[in-house]
Amino acid sequence: MLFIYIKRIFVGFYSILKGLKVTFKNIFKKPVTLHYPVVKQPMKERFRGMVDLYPEKCVICYQCIRICPTAALDLGHKVLEDNKTKNITKFTFNAELCCFCGLCEEICPTDAIFLNKMYEVSYFDHKDLLSIDLMSNQKYKHVDGGVS
Amino acid sequence: MGELFTVNMGPQHPSTHGVLYLELVMDGEIVLSCKPHLGYLHRSIEKIAENRTYTQFIPFTDRLDYLASMNNNLGYCLAVEKLLNIAVPPRAQYLRVIMAELNRVISHLVAIGTFAQDLGAYATPLFYAFRDREKIVELFDEICGGRLTYNYIRIGGLSGDVPAGTEQVIKDFIKYERKQLVEYNELLTYNVIFLARSKKIGILTQETAINYSVTGPMLRASGVKWDIRKEEPYLVYDKFDFDIPTGTAGDAWDRFKLKLDEIEQSLRIIEQAIGAIPEGNPVSKVNRVFRGSGETYMRTENPKGELGFYLVADGGLMPYRCKIRSPSFSNLGALPELVKGLNISDAVCVLGSLDIVMGEIDR
Ligand code: SF4
Ligand code: SF4
Repeated sequence: MLFIYIKRIFVGFYSILKGLKVTFKNIFKKPVTLHYPVVKQPMKERFRGMVDLYPEKCVICYQCIRICPTAALDLGHKVLEDNKTKNITKFTFNAELCCFCGLCEEICPTDAIFLNKMYEVSYFDHKDLLSIDLMSNQKYKHVDGGVS
Repeated sequence: MGELFTVNMGPQHPSTHGVLYLELVMDGEIVLSCKPHLGYLHRSIEKIAENRTYTQFIPFTDRLDYLASMNNNLGYCLAVEKLLNIAVPPRAQYLRVIMAELNRVISHLVAIGTFAQDLGAYATPLFYAFRDREKIVELFDEICGGRLTYNYIRIGGLSGDVPAGTEQVIKDFIKYERKQLVEYNELLTYNVIFLARSKKIGILTQETAINYSVTGPMLRASGVKWDIRKEEPYLVYDKFDFDIPTGTAGDAWDRFKLKLDEIEQSLRIIEQAIGAIPEGNPVSKVNRVFRGSGETYMRTENPKGELGFYLVADGGLMPYRCKIRSPSFSNLGALPELVKGLNISDAVCVLGSLDIVMGEIDR
């Protein structure tokens, strides 16, 4: 009995050494992680970040509003006196509802609405996320790394 | 018999893989009975499906089994395509197979890593698995722009073609992963401590497995050769040559080993699919407004088992009813049977070997 017990201890010890051999091989490899806040990885070409808009490209077709599964977008427009030109009165985006699916970007006929590369979206007040004015060109300026 | 007492494990517990709450009746260290309580992650996804158009619901399927979003997208899109008789271009079919298999690989990698961690192998195997998984996650990020919720597969095709150079990345990954599998075997599979902890623990017999309608790797580990990809081939699975690995004992170790074997088989499928991928445009151009009527049931082989979508349409823009049959839900059902009479630390081992995801259990 004692012999088996001691043997098992030795076999267990040996298996630990074998496992350590695998980890030892990995010690000298290059680290695969990044020191995140210091080193930042560039986002990929198709990365889906915050919703962004080129206001001048929008033709007010309401397709993005209709496709959005979470009703995160809100668009309003008025027709000018000449009964032809339409003007956007409001175009807001609720980042707390958005699920970053990218369907609005896909359906937009003029590529006016798109998802940018922003991923650090901490705000001091969560109310700021509820209605981001997409018409303003200052929309993401205050966030570090914000583009557009 | 000493005094019985009840232990509440979870809902916030590192080894319950999400917000699962287990009510264990214990006699000392021995588990006498176990009662899983669900519902902490309930988001009424089935009801949401009734209020969204067919296209709008695809992002929500990402949130079912969030470790295998591609497979969920695929299952739902196949169900809608079957309901509305929509044809899929051949290139899209091949790409779908590749994406589904890559996702199976990374889902199994997470399962392997977390299982080793549940057995007390601290963080090393988990980080090794995540290091490998990261390569595919990065690739998916490049292909569809998401790292966890891919939302890539569309009704009638895909949201976009893969960028140039993807083939090479996948080929490199296959080569790399084959090498890694050897490392996993060295580090875990045949390690005597690992064997002592997981062999003959939580034995699921064939009969019990079938009675609890357990599916996926868990069923195959019990020795039942059942895989929807072979039994009811969808997409182009019938064109590929691959085996269905099965276990013999149905214990926790078998379930672990089977996942490693399945990774190898998935790599085989991907290899063949990459070689045979036809030219063409996989992007779905069909109108995003779908209408149809009738009902259909479509099941696919998810990494965790059989994922079924039952759709009823009444001619409107939205489905009348969408019932989701999720594999983890049925697999978890067998847990009380498996942990009876085990130590509490072995119960954690069994739970880890089930490889459940709460997202699709609570839905
Ligand atoms: S990304 Fe999706 S959820 Fe967000 S605004 Fe666009 S369509 Fe709506
Ligand atoms: S889909 Fe594009 S063009 Fe149409 S309303 Fe939305 S942003 Fe404007």
